[in-house]
Amino acid sequence: MPPAVKSKKAVALPAKVPTARKSKFQADLAPSEDSMVRILKTELQMTSNTDFLTDALALLRWAVSERKRGHHIVSESSTGERKILLFPRLERVAPEVTLPHVDIQWTDKELESLAELASGQPANPTDALIRAMRQ
Amino acid sequence: MAVTIRRLEESDEVEGFDCGDEPLNNYLTRHAWTNQQKVSIGVTYAAVDESAPRTVLGYFTLATSSVPRERFPKKFVRGLPPYDLPLILLARLAVDKRFSGRGLGHALLSEALKITLRVADEVGCRCIVTDAYPDKAGWYARYGFLPLEGTAATSPQKMFLDVRTIRRALSSESSSAERK
Repeated sequence: MPPAVKSKKAVALPAKVPTARKSKFQADLAPSEDSMVRILKTELQMTSNTDFLTDALALLRWAVSERKRGHHIVSESSTGERKILLFPRLERVAPEVTLPHVDIQWTDKELESLAELASGQPANPTDALIRAMRQ
Repeated sequence: MAVTIRRLEESDEVEGFDCGDEPLNNYLTRHAWTNQQKVSIGVTYAAVDESAPRTVLGYFTLATSSVPRERFPKKFVRGLPPYDLPLILLARLAVDKRFSGRGLGHALLSEALKITLRVADEVGCRCIVTDAYPDKAGWYARYGFLPLEGTAATSPQKMFLDVRTIRRALSSESSSAERK
């Protein structure tokens, strides 16, 4: 015989899967900057601010990683004219190239040989050296 | 393999490194970090693969040095600038033998030479020198390193590469890129 009062069966609910929270980004732009964003979006055929920010972030992330490795960001024209990007904030992540100073033990004959090579005309680069600088 | 070369970091795994040469293994595992961060007598750059970004596959160590002008023989002094001769010392270069034959040595030397050019541009240096094991002197010679005379038979061979030659290699690279 069924019970007079129906008892509710406890149903195990699936555990709530945490979802990655999307951050909102709001910026106060000066009219000129706002206009620049609109122009860039038009040029790049973008419709949403999210796409704009995502692409800008990807570009900045790449620039930071290159500078962190000590690489320079260069634009080169069709005539070979090169311009190096100098962006003060990026320079903050660039590694210092200052190296510590050490003393080397030289024999007199080594110093003579070093002086002869250093005071002469430089040798032409070998193929392996050219490949190394191309890498 | 996607290899990155960057400055050695404290958390890098160096204990398993084995290039087959005990002094070079020992330098990386015992001295490289201390020399870089604490006593500042050499900066070590490590090659790591992005799949295991803490495991050092190869490394090189650089330092600067200079030769006082008065130590050079008089007959050569006239051809040199009236200052001490600044140079870079490639103090160590080694590749873990499990990863040899994959061009890591070439990549490490390439990075060392690019750093040399940057130092030359920013603070000035005239050449890079290294102490090569006799059986490795031929490898360095392929890149244009010239042996210095006068090295004792039992010592590593001192070798020299002029920064102007490295610059020429870079401009050869630009010229060949422009031709393409």
